[in-house]
Amino acid sequence: MTDPILRRVLAIVSRVAGPGRTPPDAGPETGLGEQGYWLDSVDMLEVVIACEHEFGVVLTDPADLTGKSLTSVRTLAELIERKLA
Amino acid sequence: MRDALPRDRPEQYGAAAWVLILSLDMLPWPWGERLLALTFVLKACVQVSCLRQALRWAGAQSLSGARRWRLAMALLAHHGRALARSAIVGLRSPEAWRPYVKIRGEEHLRSARGGAILLGFHVGMPGSDIALRVAGQHVRWLGGNRVSRGWSRPAWRPLVDGDDELEIDAGPLGGGVLRRACRVLLAGEHVYLTADGGVGREAFRVPLPGGPLVVRAGWLALRTHTQAPVLPVLSHREGPTHVVTIHPPLPADLVSCEMILGRLFEDYTRRFPEQCYTLAFPPPGGTTALAA
Repeated sequence: MTDPILRRVLAIVSRVAGPGRTPPDAGPETGLGEQGYWLDSVDMLEVVIACEHEFGVVLTDPADLTGKSLTSVRTLAELIERKLA
Repeated sequence: MRDALPRDRPEQYGAAAWVLILSLDMLPWPWGERLLALTFVLKACVQVSCLRQALRWAGAQSLSGARRWRLAMALLAHHGRALARSAIVGLRSPEAWRPYVKIRGEEHLRSARGGAILLGFHVGMPGSDIALRVAGQHVRWLGGNRVSRGWSRPAWRPLVDGDDELEIDAGPLGGGVLRRACRVLLAGEHVYLTADGGVGREAFRVPLPGGPLVVRAGWLALRTHTQAPVLPVLSHREGPTHVVTIHPPLPADLVSCEMILGRLFEDYTRRFPEQCYTLAFPPPGGTTALAA
C-alpha cells in the first residue's frame, strides 16, 4: 500500500463525512459505513466520484464496488491502487 | 412442492402470503388480484388495527360516515391488488398484459435529450418500470432487491433481464450502484427509481392529508452529477388498466421541486385516494416490507 494514496483517500472520505461524522481516531481501518464514518449511498457516490477525479481512475465495474472494497478507507485505497497498477 | 416453497419464497413475502399468492396464481387473470383484494378487506375485519388505520386515512381526506368507510374498504382492497400485481399473479406473459397498459405523457420522455431520471412513487399500481418496458420504452431500473415468481417466468425474463436492473443496497454499498446509474444516464439511457422508498437519506417531506410523503435524496444526487432531467412518474389503476403518467421535468431548484411534487400529490390523493396505500400504511421497515 502506497501511503500517499491512503492519505488522500482518508482526506476525501473525511471531507465528505464532515467533522460531525469523522471519528476522532479515524484511520485506514475505519469503516465507511456503520460504526465508522456512517456514510450512506449518496455520501459514497460523492466519495467514488471524488476518488475518480483525484486519481484519474474509473470505478464503475460492478466487480470494483463490492462490499469488500467499500469496507474501510484501506480497502478503498487498495482498490484505487489496483486500478492504477 | 411443499418442500420447495420456503426455498423459492422471496423474503419480502410471509409464508402464508406466499402460499396464497401461489394458489391465486393458478386462476386466470385478474381473478387472483380480485380475490387478494377481497382477502385484504376480510383480513382487516380480523386485524382491526389495519381497519383503524384505513379509517384514519379516510377520515383525513375530509370524509365521514358511509363515504369514509367506503374509502377505507377500497384502500384495503387496493392494497391487496397491489400486492398481487407486484408478484404478477395470474399474468402469464407481457403480451397478455400489454392491452392493459396505457402510457400518458410519453412526449416528455421523447423530448428529453439523453438519459432521463424517471421518478416513481409507491402509489397506484406497482411495476410502472415494467409497464414502460412492456409499452416499448427502454428503461433501466434502480432499486432494492426485488424477486417474484412472476418475473422469474421465462416469458417475463427479457423484460427483467439482469443487465437492466441496478440493484441497490442500503449504506455505502449503494453508492457504487448510484455511480453505475450515473454512467448509464450519461450514456443516454433512462433510469427509473422510486423517490419514496424506505432506503436512503431523506431530502424533504411533502405534507399531505393523512401523513407526509417522504422523499429520498438518491435522485437528487444522480441529477447533480449527470444534469439529467427528472420526470415524475405516477401510476393509477383504471379498471383492469395500469395507467402510467409521465409528467414534465422538474425544475432545477429544490424549493420548486417540493412545490410541484406537492401539487402533483394533492391532485393525486384527491383523485385516487384509495390507491395511496403506502401513504395510508407507511411500512416501518421501508417499502420492501410492504408485502410481508
